Amino acid sequence: MPADPRRPHPRQPPPNRPRPPRPRPPRRSVLAAVAMALPLLAAGCKGVGALGTPPRPLPDVAVLDHAITAEKLMITRYHAAIAGSPGQAAFLAPLLAQHQDHLARLASRLLEPKPADAARSPAATPAFPPASALTVLHGAEEDAADALVRHLAEVTPSLAQLLASIAASEASHALLLRSRGGTG
Amino acid sequence: MTGSDHRALQAALAAEHAAIYGYGVVGAHLTGPLERAAQQDWAAHQVARDTLESRLTSLGAQPVAAQDAYRLPFPVHSVPAAVSLAAFLEDRVATAYLGLVALDDPGLRAWGAQQVRASAVRATSWSGRAAAFPGLPGQVATAASVRPSA
Repeated sequence: MPADPRRPHPRQPPPNRPRPPRPRPPRRSVLAAVAMALPLLAAGCKGVGALGTPPRPLPDVAVLDHAITAEKLMITRYHAAIAGSPGQAAFLAPLLAQHQDHLARLASRLLEPKPADAARSPAATPAFPPASALTVLHGAEEDAADALVRHLAEVTPSLAQLLASIAASEASHALLLRSRGGTG
Repeated sequence: MTGSDHRALQAALAAEHAAIYGYGVVGAHLTGPLERAAQQDWAAHQVARDTLESRLTSLGAQPVAAQDAYRLPFPVHSVPAAVSLAAFLEDRVATAYLGLVALDDPGLRAWGAQQVRASAVRATSWSGRAAAFPGLPGQVATAASVRPSA
């Protein structure tokens, strides 16, 4: 079903027109703001108020933060599952590796990269009982795939593509887990 | 609707036309549960094709036509080759739908994302392997251990 349309940022042109890539505001508004500020400065006033309110933080950063946190949690779950089900380790290891790829690519998008500490160590997380490990992971992958695309309408096109691709990867993982014996 | 919307929709439609043709070849080499799976996926691609065509038509565009035939990426004369072709077709479709995800229209972006996910799941059901970044260039699917389910 279609995503809820989000109201555009007040500075951005209406969605149906081609617009410059975020986050830069259109050149016209920057030039206009400068033009407005000059006479106020010349008059001796403090011109900061004439430039308007500062822009809100970009949705991309918030969405990336959530996606990174979700991948770290998923990696923790996989470590726990492997610890509790050594017989499934060979099956689960490649899926875990893909989540590490997801995390790396998401983290590389942040302008101020977070430390690469990634997930808590396996020893810090209790192991799943073997019978439920695949089921837990199946549900986690499905939920993560759904969550990743919840705010797709708010982010830049490039990030939207990455999120949709990772969500698709997680849905594929869910299929493999279900086929292996994890019923969601 | 912008020109880029049109282009993305037409590219997705072209990919669906190719997939529909390709699934005809896939199904011709399969029997039993695998053949039924091919028929199901073929039907899903027809529904998507119809959706794309009516969307383009309602916006005043002429939907791109299917070609009479498509060159296959490799010869298909066996069950494993047919299965590989199905996975290949789904990868191509996933890439095309990522084009919709790049659009500004929230509805097209969401539907495009659903289609990327559906294509990736079909690809995995055929190959038994998942990809880390379905639809993005440079993918090598890993994580094999399961045969396609009946």
